[in-house]
Amino acid sequence: MEAEKLEFFNPKVPLDFQYNNRVGIGIERYLRGLGERKILGSKCPQCGKVAVPPRTVCGKCSATMGEFVEVSQEGTLENFTVGHVQLVKGQRLEKAESPYVVGLVRLDGVDSLLLARISGVDPSDLKVGMRVKAVWRDEVQGDYADLDHFQPA
Amino acid sequence: MAEKVAVVAFKLACAPDLHTTRERLVFNLTRGLFDELGIDRHAIDSFVMNSNDFLDGRTISTVFLDAPSGAYLKDETKVEMDGVHAVMYGWMRIMSGQYETALVVSLALTGSQVSPYVYTQYSLSPAYERQVGLLNELSGAALQAKAYLSRRGYSEELLDLVAAKDLELAAKNPRQIRRLENAGVERVRSSGPTYEPLRELHCYPPTDAGCVVLLASEKKAAELTDKPVWIKGFGSSIDTYFFGERDLTRSPSAADAAKRAFSMAGLTDPAREIDFAEISALYAHEEPLLAESMGLLPEGEAEKAYRAGDTRPGGSLPINPSGGSLGAHAPCVGGLMRLCEAVLQLRGEAGDLQLDGARTALVHGQDGICAQQNGVVILGV
Amino acid sequence: MRNVGIVGVGYCPRFVSKRTDVCIPEMVSEAVEAAFADCGLGPEDIDAVIFGNMHPFEGVNMPHLWAVEHMRALGKPVMRIATGGTTGMTAFHAAYYHIVSGLHDVVMVVTFEKHSEGDAQVGLLGIITPEAMAMMMAGIDLTGAGGMGAQGGGSAGAITYQAVSWMHKSGATIDHIDAIAAMERRNAARNPYAHLKDPEATPEKIAKTPMISYPVRFGHVCPTTDGATVCILASEERAAKIADKVAWVWGVASCASDPTTGNLIEGLITDPAEQRQCVIAAQEAYKRAGIEDPKKEIDYVEIYNGFAHQTLMYLELVGMCEVGEAHKLLEKGELEISGRLPVNASGGVVSTNAIGTSALNRVTECALQIMGKAGERQVEKEVHKALAHGWGGLMQYVSITILADKPKKL
Ligand SMILES: [Zn+2]
Repeated sequence: MEAEKLEFFNPKVPLDFQYNNRVGIGIERYLRGLGERKILGSKCPQCGKVAVPPRTVCGKCSATMGEFVEVSQEGTLENFTVGHVQLVKGQRLEKAESPYVVGLVRLDGVDSLLLARISGVDPSDLKVGMRVKAVWRDEVQGDYADLDHFQPA
Repeated sequence: MAEKVAVVAFKLACAPDLHTTRERLVFNLTRGLFDELGIDRHAIDSFVMNSNDFLDGRTISTVFLDAPSGAYLKDETKVEMDGVHAVMYGWMRIMSGQYETALVVSLALTGSQVSPYVYTQYSLSPAYERQVGLLNELSGAALQAKAYLSRRGYSEELLDLVAAKDLELAAKNPRQIRRLENAGVERVRSSGPTYEPLRELHCYPPTDAGCVVLLASEKKAAELTDKPVWIKGFGSSIDTYFFGERDLTRSPSAADAAKRAFSMAGLTDPAREIDFAEISALYAHEEPLLAESMGLLPEGEAEKAYRAGDTRPGGSLPINPSGGSLGAHAPCVGGLMRLCEAVLQLRGEAGDLQLDGARTALVHGQDGICAQQNGVVILGV
Repeated sequence: MRNVGIVGVGYCPRFVSKRTDVCIPEMVSEAVEAAFADCGLGPEDIDAVIFGNMHPFEGVNMPHLWAVEHMRALGKPVMRIATGGTTGMTAFHAAYYHIVSGLHDVVMVVTFEKHSEGDAQVGLLGIITPEAMAMMMAGIDLTGAGGMGAQGGGSAGAITYQAVSWMHKSGATIDHIDAIAAMERRNAARNPYAHLKDPEATPEKIAKTPMISYPVRFGHVCPTTDGATVCILASEERAAKIADKVAWVWGVASCASDPTTGNLIEGLITDPAEQRQCVIAAQEAYKRAGIEDPKKEIDYVEIYNGFAHQTLMYLELVGMCEVGEAHKLLEKGELEISGRLPVNASGGVVSTNAIGTSALNRVTECALQIMGKAGERQVEKEVHKALAHGWGGLMQYVSITILADKPKKL
């Protein structure tokens, strides 16, 4: 359909609200764990599934996942993509400064995959099935960025 | 069931930039539809608005649209997700016997005024995914494309085949916005990479879109149109939110939604009984993946089917004969864009894109990262 | 057409200013579990889920996607409904239509708001932010005659005009607004799911709260609340098997008007106390419910009163009394829990406002009164039929639900 062209006042409206979202029971435990260089998951009392990051409900069993367990920091790379773009502020698609790898890692003994940055390896050397391990930033602060990336074990 | 519900008319506007305001867009669409049918707003019993606050940058996005849409002093509600669900709700309102007509009013100016990625990005958990910052609809789609291709043993070329088929059709469709010359496999393959294996032309183009769809009871439809298109069935379902627990190689919720729709429509062998499908595949891999999940293609046969031209017009099951979402897509309006294309086909008004003997269509809409939630509508004449 | 009844109600355990301990899905989960406990159903019994809130308040788009596990909705049809303040009730209506159309038998409505995660005033002003921004950039004075600040739904904006206009029409005074606010705070003290409670509230005490903008005092205004409410509806055949006590839906209706503050661009200002959409919605709901004389037939009313004067104003508009009569009923004590026409025994929205839940809470509170399950806030008279009211948008949406203790004769 041909757009009808109209002349009208059309200023840019920059909207940027500040929110104060709560992380909740599961992620609070997770962040505390990161502050101790631990990766925590939650375990379903019915099906035994371990999910990382932890949460409070197993959707399949409808059960409360009240048990938080420390999991392995090593695992297998199950899937990855090389990003050539980045989504700035969740809105603008811009070319990335350099390509970067986002991978899905299955930590040993965990039933969910963890989305993580994969570094310390040339993307062309990456293979699904390769063993990887967690790399922490030098000083942990109980923050998401503590678990910096995964690299080949 | 006591009666049937028909799609009796629609108006659709799509462009990279519609050069308009929300109010004017909605007014022009509804007024255009009323004029075409020779009715006024009093012929509408129930208004089902369909938009999203995040896209409008406004709390209660439709707050200034009651007058432009004609809903002033009328029954009105709002479905804030893909438009196929607004159509389902319109059906329910009419089937309740309390209303004879329902007008779905949908819009998203995601080409010119706001990024379409806001829609999915803000649906992510502020407590985890948005903080970690690795998941977005493109990175999710890329991981899904990779998982899907590798599990099924398909080559990456399937993505190019899907996109080339869609974009060649889109080029012939005046309602699409991405109308490329020589939109073949080569052109797709030479577009820039986003997240591997997806390239720019494997992804939908940000689009300004508005759409109004008029639904009516059997009795009322007879007064309004000679070519009613019946809503035969529909279904909806939702998958887990947690990306690391999704089986990315199939869509259980699309399968559920389709099964519910088939059962409601009384279809027992959908792959045969459905003449064509209009699927909201925002990324090239989603088209075969969703088609397989919905039972339109046998799992593992998609690459063969695409190579053989089975999914092209004239093939055994044309998928997105309109060119699909790779030609134009906007959140909320997306499913309705597919629905409008299906209606044109079923009425025999699809022009250069017209299929022969199209009598039953599947229409699909989606929400969330990697189509976490899916809605399916079966239309027929 | 078939009958639909409410079989279960679930609230999260506390409606308070800040739930810092839980995230959105965790809070939603509490109300879902409470609703299941209330009617003995489980996730497997639910055919479809309706979800509603005003998502700009938390900055999470379509939070049902994130909360799908927590609301036990995996693999189910989920529909998101949002219409501003009326969201809770329009979501309830969507559930009603899911069943009455013959499509589903048991449908769950999930609503919440978690105002502490955002700035409710920002969320409300966001209704007009695009216009405000555009006007500022064009150099238009927003504080001048245009009264831009008053256009927003933010507290004490256009509401003050509404209150003044209503007082003029009805002959009520600010003392009556103080008195109704005090009554609702006292009622709230009997409701474990209310936010602002004061068993000792008096009109004099309310009158001492700061004046925001005449005639709206601080004590007349709703709080911002964190909370979640879930309601389960069932078809007649199923409802009879699920619950002993069912609140039956006799009639639902909604109506939309122009933003009552007027159309900014054309400068059209309507009277915010006129509320024609409320009159139309109420009349339609009565018609569908087969109610000829609401004054005689309706025993209990829950009014959506973000601001205290609205209890009295909307009582008149829904036809429960004549214009100018509501404040007289209040003076005679007839609106009290012990009165002839008890209103907002829950404490109303003015005592508890988690916006997504607020219009649904009007329905669930009516249902609990009909079922006789309202605990300490149970009114003294028998409740056979009740009316729930909700308003939203820039005072332009009104939804009405009429419930009864027996299925409607079809
Ligand atoms: Zn489990």
